[in-house]
Amino acid sequence: MLDGVEAVQAMQRTRGRAAVRLSDNAGRVRLVDLHQSGSAKVFLPRSHAAAPEIVFLNTAGGLTGGDRMRFDADLGAGVRATATTQTAERIYASTGDVARLDLRLSVGAGGRLDWLPQETILFDRARLARRTEVALAGDAACLWVETLVLGRAAMGEALADVQARDHRVVTRDGRPVLIEPAGISPALLADAGQPAGLDGARALATVALVAPGAEDAVGPLRAALAAADGVRGAVTGWDGKAIMRLMAPDAYPLRKALAGLLPVLRPGPLPRVWQI
Amino acid sequence: MTADLLTLTQWLSPAFPVGGYAYSHGLEQAIAAGRVTDAGGLCDWLSVVLDHGTGRVDAVLLCLTLNGADLADTARALAPSRERAQEAEDQGRAFVEAVNALRGTAIAPQPLPTAVGQAARLLDLPASEVAALYLHAFTSNLVSAAVRFVPLGQAAGQQALADLHPLILNLADWAATAGLDDLASGAYGSDLAAMEHETLDVRLFRT
Repeated sequence: MLDGVEAVQAMQRTRGRAAVRLSDNAGRVRLVDLHQSGSAKVFLPRSHAAAPEIVFLNTAGGLTGGDRMRFDADLGAGVRATATTQTAERIYASTGDVARLDLRLSVGAGGRLDWLPQETILFDRARLARRTEVALAGDAACLWVETLVLGRAAMGEALADVQARDHRVVTRDGRPVLIEPAGISPALLADAGQPAGLDGARALATVALVAPGAEDAVGPLRAALAAADGVRGAVTGWDGKAIMRLMAPDAYPLRKALAGLLPVLRPGPLPRVWQI
Repeated sequence: MTADLLTLTQWLSPAFPVGGYAYSHGLEQAIAAGRVTDAGGLCDWLSVVLDHGTGRVDAVLLCLTLNGADLADTARALAPSRERAQEAEDQGRAFVEAVNALRGTAIAPQPLPTAVGQAARLLDLPASEVAALYLHAFTSNLVSAAVRFVPLGQAAGQQALADLHPLILNLADWAATAGLDDLASGAYGSDLAAMEHETLDVRLFRT
């Protein structure tokens, strides 16, 4: 049985689920379903871009231990859309429990999802378990950019005690094609200068294009990366995947570099919420 | 000593025709870039690769496969770069061919950690022991690459390997009961080196 203090804490836990479903109706994308509850919101700003933009939002303004959020986006066959988050996601200190985020994104045959969330900022004593799964059907494509920021360098923050698991999974017709089980642990942070590990970086990004023929993007990406300032990175590609990893001393140079690199992988402007 | 342990030792020895000597797992790039220059640096590099990178991932894949899971596609999806995928796939194929020829089995070609996991089902050995020997072989191969390419003295290389034994044992014990959800990879510099190796001008190693 809960005592008074536990009951109050339980009530304060953030809960939310937001889900959106889009379908193609004779060449026009239609909103079929939209659900939101708790602190999770989703909206589709009016836009003149060819593909609609989905924006997820956590109105609680960050997450801490015990919080649970779920975001879903389902693009029907032939739908092309961009999805992002309204703000950077802040994972604050926990007293022990884990903040859980689950994201399920699916793309029907012939469709493409550009999943471009803003960065996730980890604060000291953060406890995070996030799982993001993109399920592709047939020849569907996705572009994925995920950025982790380890504290705020400008504020002089150095992280020591963080347990974060950030599993990123892409499946095609149910089979796993890309899994990045990213994680940050106290042991990794204790050796933050290790060249095989964080190598002093506080901002880490993975950019992945998963699409038939994605390897063709490797050359142009390498050329663009060679011209980027303030980041260290590399590009690889095989089996319908092009992957770029970036490391930087802080969030800003990374974001700036991404703004210059992403046009190689997608036509049109970045989501408006990505203000550089 | 049991016959099964002797068999596993044979499978994981450098003489087994898997061709491990051709792969440096990105270490050649790190050495060429001056990130690993001595035995201490090698030990640091390998401890990160084991603790936060491929070592932990492969040990879990191996143990889960040994216990009956089919994770070949998962292992392929976990490869962080083209050359890493090739390193695991080529060695796995060669390993399976050799084991199938020896044992009359029909194990399917697959990346090395799940290939070893599946073959080890033929043996009566605890998962932690199989994982420890696998991690030891993996580390030993990279030490040998560094001894040739840094270069380091043989004694310094063997000291680095010996210094990594406690970590290998800990990891193997952990992996014996871990699941895929427990993975938390953070060997960013090692993964980046593996990717950078693809464009290295002069290469002795395939990865």
